Amino acid sequence: MPDHGSLRVREFVTDTSLGLDLEILQSKGLDNEIRSPRIQKLGMALAGFTTYIHPDRIQIVGSSELNYLKELTPDGRTSAIQRLKRFRICCIVVTKGLDPPKELAEFCARQEIPILRTRALSSLSTSKMTRWLENRLAPRATVHGVLVEVFGLGVLIIGPSGIGKSECALELILRGHRLVTDDSVEITRRGLDRLLGTGGKILRHHMELRGLGIINIKDIFGISATAVFQPVDFAVRLERWNSEVEYDRLGIDQSTMELLGVPIPLIVMPVAPGRNLAALVEVAARIHMLRQRGYNPAKELEELT
Amino acid sequence: MIRQSLLVVNNLGLHARAAAKLVRLASSFASEIYLSREDASQQIDSKSILGVLMLAAKKGTRLVVSVEGHDEAEAVEAIRRLFESRFGEEM
Repeated sequence: MPDHGSLRVREFVTDTSLGLDLEILQSKGLDNEIRSPRIQKLGMALAGFTTYIHPDRIQIVGSSELNYLKELTPDGRTSAIQRLKRFRICCIVVTKGLDPPKELAEFCARQEIPILRTRALSSLSTSKMTRWLENRLAPRATVHGVLVEVFGLGVLIIGPSGIGKSECALELILRGHRLVTDDSVEITRRGLDRLLGTGGKILRHHMELRGLGIINIKDIFGISATAVFQPVDFAVRLERWNSEVEYDRLGIDQSTMELLGVPIPLIVMPVAPGRNLAALVEVAARIHMLRQRGYNPAKELEELT
Repeated sequence: MIRQSLLVVNNLGLHARAAAKLVRLASSFASEIYLSREDASQQIDSKSILGVLMLAAKKGTRLVVSVEGHDEAEAVEAIRRLFESRFGEEM
């Protein structure tokens, strides 16, 4: 996808959450950029078919590639490797703990292509790297708001500061729902239509309440009152009640908002004395669940009358 | 919209009390006031204390403030003065 970000090979090697225990065999070029979450095997290119080589992807060299190179004469090996010369390959990962031939190592040092090695098999390496890269390179945005998990649904509460987003989330927590993050929600898009929300690393599960200051939800309510990641299912925008605006009275038409190109259902919720926001959000979640199963109370009423 | 670069000059950086002062000041304006570190793209709402703390701005950190609204000029000026006054921190 064109809106993918990029990262340096250095970051890829040092992040232990990848879980491949990568070692650096050739360290020149660690600042090369990886710009695609997809992985490629270098086999076809070494054999001569270089049309589909994507230099911005990590290239895997496994036992099939290495055995192919081994079977060639030294001259053949060199010329096979030289085929890669006109591509600025970002990085090569050797799998299965194998040793790359010295011709490849020398070539990569000259071309500044880092060589990394893992003990894992190609299949496992591919799936782990793809997963990690898809997360790291996913289109992302930061939204000012609160993300709460209500009956398993991710509810993004947005609205101007001071409107009561945190208070609404707090009441939801008291009702047994879970806080993902208060204040600033990091959202990444997975695939074409899934949005995943999480909090920043520093301020996970902290909340600011006017009059009480900063509190830590995990300390006060325990770990079960919090969640780390949550897909975003719908958004609730809190607004000051404006008598000029016509709020939805039927709930037949659904408005949406766009986040990273994904439309998500949006409920505009006017805030006024006597309106229990948490109860309204909770009911909104129940309605959302019903709607997903094809039920719409307003439509049903319409059909009866 | 007005954008202005700000330098954290006080010794303690944007610590909790300084952040609280900034948030209080920002909240007194109707404009939308966003802050970001010059070395990162993530923007935070300067009316939110958690957001401001998340910047983890130390002495010497350069921030960019973006203000939009009918009182934007006054807001930028007031915020600039607060940074320059070291958030009231004693030397």
